[in-house]
Amino acid sequence: MITQEENVKEISASKPYIVVKDLVTQFFTSKGIVKALDKVSFEIYPGEIYGLVGESGCGKSVTSTSIMDLIPDPPGRIMGGEIYIDSFNILSDLRSLAKIRIKSETEVKIKRSKRANKRHNEILSQIRGNKISMIFQEPFLALNPTMRIGDQIMESILLHNILSISDGIIKRHNLNSNDLDKFMKNLNGENDHLKRKKIINNFVSEFGIQEFEESLNSLIENSTDDSYVKTEIINMVQENKKNIDMKLISEIREYYYYKNQLFQLTLEEIQAERTGETAIRNQKHEQIKALRRYINNKYFVLRMKLRLAEKHYMAPFRKEARRRAIELLSLVNIAGPEIVVDSYPHELSGGMQQRAMIAMALASNPKMLIADEPTTALDVTTQAQILEIIKDLNELIGMGVLFITHDLAVIAEMCDRVGVMYAGNLVEETSTTEIFNDPKHPYTVGLMNSVPRADRKREKEIRLDTIPGTVPNLITPPSGCRFHPRCKFAMDICSLKKPKLVEISPQHKVACFLYSDESEVD
Amino acid sequence: MQSTISIFKRSGVQKKRRPKVEDFQATMKLVLKNKVSLTGLIITSVYFILALMDYVYPQYLGAGPGVVTSMLRFNGGFLGQGFPSGPTLAKGWWYYLGTTYANIPLFPAILSALYIDLGYSLMIVLSGAVIGILIGTFSAYYGGFWDELMMRITDIFYSIPFLIMAIAFTTILSYSLAKAHAPINGFSLIAIALIIIWWPTYARLTRSITLSVKSSRFIEAAIASGSSKVRNVFTHVIPNVLSPVFVQISLDLGSIVLIFATVEYLGLGSVIKVTQYTPELGELISAGQTYLPVGIWWPVFVPGIFLLIFTVGVNILGDGMRDVLDPKMRR
Amino acid sequence: MELRYYIIRRFLILIPTLFGLVLLTFILLRAIPTSDLIASFISQKATAQERVIEKQQAIAYLGLNQPLPVQFLYYLNDIIHGNLGVMYTSFYTGPVMGGIERFLPYTLELSIATVILSILIAIPLGTYIGARPNSPSDAIGRIFSLGVYAMPIFWLALLAQIIFGKNIGIFGSYGLPISGEGYPTTTKVPWIVNNVSEPTHMLFVDALLHGNLTIAYSAFIHLILPVGVLTLSILAGLLRFIRAGMVDTANQEFVKTARAKGVPEKLVLRRHVRKNALLPSVTVIGLLMAGLLGGVVVIEYVFQLRGMGRLTLATITGLNIQFYGVAGTVLFFGIILMITNLIVDVVYAFLDPRIRY
Repeated sequence: MITQEENVKEISASKPYIVVKDLVTQFFTSKGIVKALDKVSFEIYPGEIYGLVGESGCGKSVTSTSIMDLIPDPPGRIMGGEIYIDSFNILSDLRSLAKIRIKSETEVKIKRSKRANKRHNEILSQIRGNKISMIFQEPFLALNPTMRIGDQIMESILLHNILSISDGIIKRHNLNSNDLDKFMKNLNGENDHLKRKKIINNFVSEFGIQEFEESLNSLIENSTDDSYVKTEIINMVQENKKNIDMKLISEIREYYYYKNQLFQLTLEEIQAERTGETAIRNQKHEQIKALRRYINNKYFVLRMKLRLAEKHYMAPFRKEARRRAIELLSLVNIAGPEIVVDSYPHELSGGMQQRAMIAMALASNPKMLIADEPTTALDVTTQAQILEIIKDLNELIGMGVLFITHDLAVIAEMCDRVGVMYAGNLVEETSTTEIFNDPKHPYTVGLMNSVPRADRKREKEIRLDTIPGTVPNLITPPSGCRFHPRCKFAMDICSLKKPKLVEISPQHKVACFLYSDESEVD
Repeated sequence: MQSTISIFKRSGVQKKRRPKVEDFQATMKLVLKNKVSLTGLIITSVYFILALMDYVYPQYLGAGPGVVTSMLRFNGGFLGQGFPSGPTLAKGWWYYLGTTYANIPLFPAILSALYIDLGYSLMIVLSGAVIGILIGTFSAYYGGFWDELMMRITDIFYSIPFLIMAIAFTTILSYSLAKAHAPINGFSLIAIALIIIWWPTYARLTRSITLSVKSSRFIEAAIASGSSKVRNVFTHVIPNVLSPVFVQISLDLGSIVLIFATVEYLGLGSVIKVTQYTPELGELISAGQTYLPVGIWWPVFVPGIFLLIFTVGVNILGDGMRDVLDPKMRR
Repeated sequence: MELRYYIIRRFLILIPTLFGLVLLTFILLRAIPTSDLIASFISQKATAQERVIEKQQAIAYLGLNQPLPVQFLYYLNDIIHGNLGVMYTSFYTGPVMGGIERFLPYTLELSIATVILSILIAIPLGTYIGARPNSPSDAIGRIFSLGVYAMPIFWLALLAQIIFGKNIGIFGSYGLPISGEGYPTTTKVPWIVNNVSEPTHMLFVDALLHGNLTIAYSAFIHLILPVGVLTLSILAGLLRFIRAGMVDTANQEFVKTARAKGVPEKLVLRRHVRKNALLPSVTVIGLLMAGLLGGVVVIEYVFQLRGMGRLTLATITGLNIQFYGVAGTVLFFGIILMITNLIVDVVYAFLDPRIRY
């Protein structure tokens, strides 16, 4: 079970977990270049729920997909900007990935560097699902239809948690009477029922024998004979030890340990590349090459084994991962997780599928979850349950959430801070209360007036407004402020210059010339 | 929880359905933009122009119906005596590609064969398409028993390998028609047999489209305004079916040419005795095969290349059109 | 458990189609003038008196004095009892069923070898190409598919002969046999002569089982060219389909999920894309089988091999058309294809968890 208890709401004091800076994402289509994101910047702090809201096609989903660097290429590409996830800029090697020559709107030549892309993907595969997870709009499409739910969750667990799993197995294997004595001493020194339970809980999770927690509880309740309890525990663990080749376990652990090392080195290499420290970069490069050669030589047989009969050799890991998968499923309120773990996606309802998706996203304990319209495809009652789960997880384990929706009611319910997007720009960013009570940007104002509100009493205020005009075509977006053709307060400057997102009061940023004359410099 | 926000739905006037002609023009424009499809179009057109010229002015190309008879006259009437001779530039353009069995010059023989192959294949595909469209749309639109019957019949046709079915149908049909002294030549017979077994493809294709059209709003509107079923099929369903059928035709034309040639190669055309002999590409290859064991390869190779280039051309054109018409590919 | 019911249901659906198939061959037979149909029952050497008797017998046997539906029942009864009529050709004379029994194993040997070979090539190659859309290897694959797809199979076979054929091609007398010449005939194969066991009736497999390498080698080299050509011809379609499946699957949402989980690119292809892309390919095998069975006829003709295809062609190319031979072989090919499709559907249902009823 996840037992982190962090202080969640200390937002402003801590360092942001995700920083998006001047993000530009474009799609190259046969009709022209779609400027889907035009210098979007924002920050998300650990433990907060940040909402992104806007019309469909305004770039919310493109933003989230860009953060995961999952923009389908072709047609799309991230063209510039920085995205820091846990202080590492995943776009630091952006320049080396491809050479792009834009001849005209419809004629773009992209020459991708195979090698740079390979390294880039290797790094991102360590970040995705590990430091940051994502759930999607349509869970039915987002789950692999021919893989059991359990296998899909286990895949995620096995990808990122191999080291901790093998540590658990090794610790369990080496459980000796000293450990047992210590445990019994701790237990006997405590009389409070709840505290005793806690000790047992810690013990079982420390040694990876959670499946015996219940029997251990009843055993200790019913027996006063320490030595009997000890032999019983030894028996239990012995049962678990059967058929486990400890040499293999430690070999696999080592292998993954070295792979982790390789990942760290690659990060350092990229960092050095970016800062231009050629000496360090070369040194790192040599180290990587040496380590890679070492791994290839030493673990050649192991890799072949895993390639040919992964299910067989990874069996102890899979067993452990399966147990964790069941735990995760019960964490997201799925009834009968033991059954669901073995079922296929099509056998579950939409709500259950989305829960399974969330369980999958939680597999490696990420600090941040991106929820891309997670409830849009679900029916109303299920929507509420899913939102509740996300909210609970945020409060329980302090997981930050980037919540993307077009539904203002959901924003009001869920989010701590909100960013409003329009046509590929972030136009306003502030706390949830502010955005509803004191919207500044004309677009946000229009947005607020277009939904019925219970807190508006006066006749005049109840009337719903619409924003005139249509969403602009992003192949040829309006010059200057992209909202100016639909804006009631449009001035001359609006069509000439692009307003900058500036802080006009604490925690409140707006990009509009009504509030500040700062414009973006190109 | 669920709140509808009016402005999130795109406002503005709903786009009107473009007329079919314009749609077709737009499609062709996109097809022509692609170099590969354009090549396909050029190849196909060249072949059809050659075939047409051969039909209209047989005297210029020296081919046309009854070509072999005239060629034999040209050779001095020695059937069976001519040993194939290799390609040569010395004896005029008829001999550029050498001669085949019975010393018939290949070039004019192939040109007149094009007219037979292309003409009959086009006839088969078009007739098959017309029959298929009519049966497919009406049975699907009327539904119930007729639809079920149509599906079962096509099931049966699909359960026999196509070539086997072509062989059986041609044989039996030619036998019974010959007995009845029907004035018909061997090619037409094969064509009739192939039409009989080819229409189910189009019936299936149009059926699926008809079913989706049938459930659409504008058909409901037409029914509400009291339009008759037959009228609905002709005014609403068939126009919608045409463009996918057109793509299918262009994809099928290559296959049909191949099957027609194969059936002729197997010697099915000669089951019926025809007095006036006109070569066909499959037959030409079959005739050229006679001297293959002594290493004379061009009588086999050359007609095949002509066949190959045509089918490649038609196929890339068809692929191009399908890619354009497939909304998934249109970004 | 559920799969069993699915198989039974699928089997029941087969019955009307089978019935329709029999009806179709019946219609084919009745499209011929009745006198000719009767004539095929009368032996050439019979005297005038015997002819009259034979004619009477034939009419009674076919039920020609009865209404058409009853005639159909007579026909149906015959077929249920495995009686497909008789054929007289220089290639084979005797009951049609006997001919099928005798010539089918060769055709099966050819088809099975082709199916196995083409699947073995198509899956790795198709997934490789499909994982790299618009790359040079994809372009080569496309050109190959298009080229082979556009070739008439008989021409492809002749081309193979021109290149690899014995005494014709570039390998001269070391080339591969281009006809049935030198193929071990039934009189030379010891276990057929001595009437010992013939477990599969396929010469190559039987020779291996009997440990007779000389005959196995001879059978093998006779298989290379025909199987090679057939494989090429269906490989084109299969490659196209697998490639399209890979490209389609790679664009699906769950592949994005896999990437979002941090699955490395290689594993994304191996674990998530490949299986889902290959599943629909199972269904094409039925379609390819139809093309393959047609192709077998042509290949046997070009290479002068003694199989079902030659039997089929023999029924129509002799002096007299053998109507029962035509009807019998059509029916039989139809049944083979139906069984293949049934197997394909069951295998698909077994592999794809979504299809269970």
